[in-house]
Amino acid sequence: MPQHFTPRADGRLRLALLLGLAALIGAALLAFVMVRSDHAWAVGRPAPQPIPFSHALHAGGLGLDCRYCHAGVERAAEAGMPSASLCLGCHGDVWAGATALAPLRDSLALGAPIPWSSVHRLPDHTRFHHGAHIAAGAACETCHGRVWEMPQTIKVRPMSMGWCLDCHREPEPRLRPVEAVFDRDWQGRPPPANPHAGGAVSPLTQCSTCHR
Amino acid sequence: MTDTPPDRREVLRLAAASLALAAAGCDSGPDEFGHPLHGAAEGGGEAASFATVLELGGLGRGVLVRRRGGHAIKLEGNPDHPASLGATDVFAEAAVLSLHDPARSRRVREGGRPRPPAALDAALASVRAELLPRGGAGLLLVTGPIASPTTARLIRAVLQDFPAARWQQHDPLADDAGLEGATRAFGQPVATLPDFALARCVLALGADPLGPGPAQLRLARDWSHARAEGRDRGDLPVLMVAEATPTLTGARADRRLAMREVEPFTRAIATALRVPGLADTGTHPEAAPVAKALLRAGEAAVVLAGPSQPVAVQALAHAINATLGSTVMRHVEPPFARPGPMGDSALAAALAAGAVTHLLVLGVNPAGTAPALRGTMAQRPFSLHLGAHVDETAHLCRWHAPLAHELEGWGDTRAFDGTAAIRQPATTPLVPEARGLDDVLAALLGLAERGEALVRATWQASWGEAGFEPRWRAALEAGVVEGTESPALRPALRADWDPGPPAPPPSGLLAIFAPDPHLLDGRFAENAWLQELPRPLTKTAWGNAVLVAPADAAALGLTAGDEVLVELAGRSLKAPVLPLPAQPSGCVTLPLGGGREAGGEVGTARGFDAALLRDPASPWAAGPVTLRRTGQRAAIIATQTGMPADPPPVLAPGESIPPRAPGPSLYPGWTYEGQAWGMAIDLDSCIGCNACAIACQAENNTPVVGPQEVARGREMHWLRIDLHQAEDHTIFQPVPCMHCEKAPCEVVCPVNATVHDDQGLNLMVYPRCIGTRTCSNNCPYKVRRFNWFDYARSEGGLALRNPDVPVRPRGVIEKCTYCQHRIATARTQARLEGRPVRDGEVETACQRACPTQAITFGDVNDPASAVSRAKEEGRNYALLGELDTRPRTTYLARIAPGDTGSAG
Repeated sequence: MPQHFTPRADGRLRLALLLGLAALIGAALLAFVMVRSDHAWAVGRPAPQPIPFSHALHAGGLGLDCRYCHAGVERAAEAGMPSASLCLGCHGDVWAGATALAPLRDSLALGAPIPWSSVHRLPDHTRFHHGAHIAAGAACETCHGRVWEMPQTIKVRPMSMGWCLDCHREPEPRLRPVEAVFDRDWQGRPPPANPHAGGAVSPLTQCSTCHR
Repeated sequence: MTDTPPDRREVLRLAAASLALAAAGCDSGPDEFGHPLHGAAEGGGEAASFATVLELGGLGRGVLVRRRGGHAIKLEGNPDHPASLGATDVFAEAAVLSLHDPARSRRVREGGRPRPPAALDAALASVRAELLPRGGAGLLLVTGPIASPTTARLIRAVLQDFPAARWQQHDPLADDAGLEGATRAFGQPVATLPDFALARCVLALGADPLGPGPAQLRLARDWSHARAEGRDRGDLPVLMVAEATPTLTGARADRRLAMREVEPFTRAIATALRVPGLADTGTHPEAAPVAKALLRAGEAAVVLAGPSQPVAVQALAHAINATLGSTVMRHVEPPFARPGPMGDSALAAALAAGAVTHLLVLGVNPAGTAPALRGTMAQRPFSLHLGAHVDETAHLCRWHAPLAHELEGWGDTRAFDGTAAIRQPATTPLVPEARGLDDVLAALLGLAERGEALVRATWQASWGEAGFEPRWRAALEAGVVEGTESPALRPALRADWDPGPPAPPPSGLLAIFAPDPHLLDGRFAENAWLQELPRPLTKTAWGNAVLVAPADAAALGLTAGDEVLVELAGRSLKAPVLPLPAQPSGCVTLPLGGGREAGGEVGTARGFDAALLRDPASPWAAGPVTLRRTGQRAAIIATQTGMPADPPPVLAPGESIPPRAPGPSLYPGWTYEGQAWGMAIDLDSCIGCNACAIACQAENNTPVVGPQEVARGREMHWLRIDLHQAEDHTIFQPVPCMHCEKAPCEVVCPVNATVHDDQGLNLMVYPRCIGTRTCSNNCPYKVRRFNWFDYARSEGGLALRNPDVPVRPRGVIEKCTYCQHRIATARTQARLEGRPVRDGEVETACQRACPTQAITFGDVNDPASAVSRAKEEGRNYALLGELDTRPRTTYLARIAPGDTGSAG
């Protein structure tokens, strides 16, 4: 019976298996790295917006406080988006007829919301309370970066569950005194103790603390 | 999909395709739905709550509307309103679904074709111009029962402008006999207002005070309080019921006398109590003990007659109350603007009298609820139907206009006790062309005002100009107008009162017509939540059945699900039968509200339409009816067949259940520091009204699965109500997740998708769940529900969705979370304020809805909390306690009825 395989076939098979295994491991590694990459979490990628709004101009240049537009941030779960009437409070006089601001005027006329695109999207199965974080001493900058320097709003942190947990496991080094939360030039040191005041604090790493 | 199993290649192809999809999904993926980031046009988009009022049978129940982004997402009871006291009924809970119903009528139509709304205004103006010269002759206004001061004012104005016009109120379930009975007894129509808080002995004659109705919440609360006080005192109040068709009150009665006709029994009671002036006496074997129990309670006794009872029974009930000197029964002016007959026969007479050339049917659907009147309603020169749906009446009328939902517009109403409340819009109007009843009347009157201005005008007339604004705002904020309840009347029994001669005993099988517990006369048939909610006593959903006594069924050779031909006075229809032990022999119950002809996708042809057999002259009972087997089977969709496991214990007064010592466990113990949530459900208070189940559905975005899936046992309700029926009692047992400390579901999950948190909640991690359903298989309480389909995305009702609760994708298990989002909200709020969570601060949706406050929820680590105190009671027991799952939800056992006089 003739030989079906050459003497080197065994070696080739072994090499092929080895390469295949390496490719599998490599693909797994690549996937592992990819899903953790900033690209996968849309870090640094601006979302298309109905109005070319610049935080750099409003918050940075004009020096508006974050809370002027995101009024609910200290007490509500959602920081809140400014209403069209709030925007038009100034833009009724400044740039009043600009076509870029047409969505604001339409919104007020129709009573319809302005369809901003979400840059920091909160998944449906997660709850997040801005007020609770502010009260604990987490500054705006800690999660959102230096928004007042952004012409287009972008995400600077991945906001993955792992990123949340990094802080929830050891919040102290990342916190500020509560009065410094809105301070853009704060250079101090974190307060020594967990500033969570009163009440029974549920351990921050419990699933049900953030998930619903 | 074909039924043949896919071959190996097919499986591989699918696997490859799904891998490719998974790889593609690593990109940013589709935008998460239901989470828009909207800047509101004006004001904040935060959660807000509005006090308003909803009507049932023309009478209001106060509600608080929780609103998000302009949409009403959940209704809760208004604690300040006398007809709510903070609780809700199934209809109030389901109102948000009706509001967001995609099948709502959206366009003004003429001859079935959409027309611009201005065309209707022009038509109404020309009707006015045409009718004014002839004083309105030929105009017939048909409305539902009107208690609203504004609507009443406008109708009076219409009748003033058009003196020859007529106005007929129509409600197929109206208590016409009650008013006539009161007139026979007292010489004037009065409304009865029993105060169960004072009652020691209640006899309901075909009445269903604990069942659906505008006063249900109040009566149920008062009754449960009287019972709680009785439990503490060791002397329970007695509830006795004599009825032909099973009701919630009958199920909850300490003594239920199932009888075909109540009238002979009522006469026997009156005879035994020596009611003066009674011409025709009677005897009944059960009368003596019942009369004795009533006599013993004396002025704390009360007799109620239901709307379905003949006039004689109504008059007799009044006379018995007068003889007993009952202080429980109070009387007030009927809250309606014009009390009078409102049933089908009254409408038939109004349609027949005079030549009706202009027919305005506003907010009712007589062609749907009284098919016998269809012929007389059609072919009028001008006809307009104002309704939420293009229903049976809309098809008969030339014009149709969409009716604004109660939550969308302005109005006012009165409660069963007369308390007025102002109805304010609590949501963004969803149908731009919709108009309110008041708006149509104003158009007919040629007024320019609409909506709020009309209501303001009414109240300005009664309050005056001075100080109007603060009063108006206070009334809107409170949801009630202070001090408007009807003053009590003290009518005296007429000396010459006469209940009328005894009715001749009907021969043959008697047909009893009864409103469906959730659809009533069919007006709620288009609401999928109410259709899918299992009826309390039959556990049927998405349809109805003829209820037959088991003895009669055996005699006719019928079993559950057999189709029969029901024949009554020459009319006939086909329907499935359901033998029910509570149904007395000699009569059958035909539930109304099914089989709608034009009920939209949800409501059309669900079950059979008993109204087809209903004669306007005798709307509640008729005979003889015959049932003939057709040989076919008709599916009855039920969520419970047979009796559930572990029937609840019934304790003698003072008896207690020994606490069960926890057994050894293989699993490590766990201590709960801080809060540990738990629930106690009082089976002695539960009346089985289903409010908790539907409140849970509304709160937790639980999907509707439809009749086919319910028939497969795939209903999604997180909270079900088990029905335990025994010889002498019926117990309703609400069963949510037990949140076992030794949860059998957790240890079998292969992916750790169901876990405990530090407060003892057994929770689902939906993204982890891979849908093995092993947890459900291992759950002894069977409270876990599986998403067989992608209901969340297919439902389309996103505006209605509670944003605090995520929707679950296909292929995952879901279940009760103890309203974990409410706990988290309270916890965050407490932390922001730097204080611990207070007892009672977290109320689950089911607890909030419960009219009898049977559900207690709170921190079991706090010995002073209400739930800890409830669990300390001797009645506390765990469902399937022998399994030692250490459930956090426990039950308080029913107390056996005391002496109801049956022993003599």
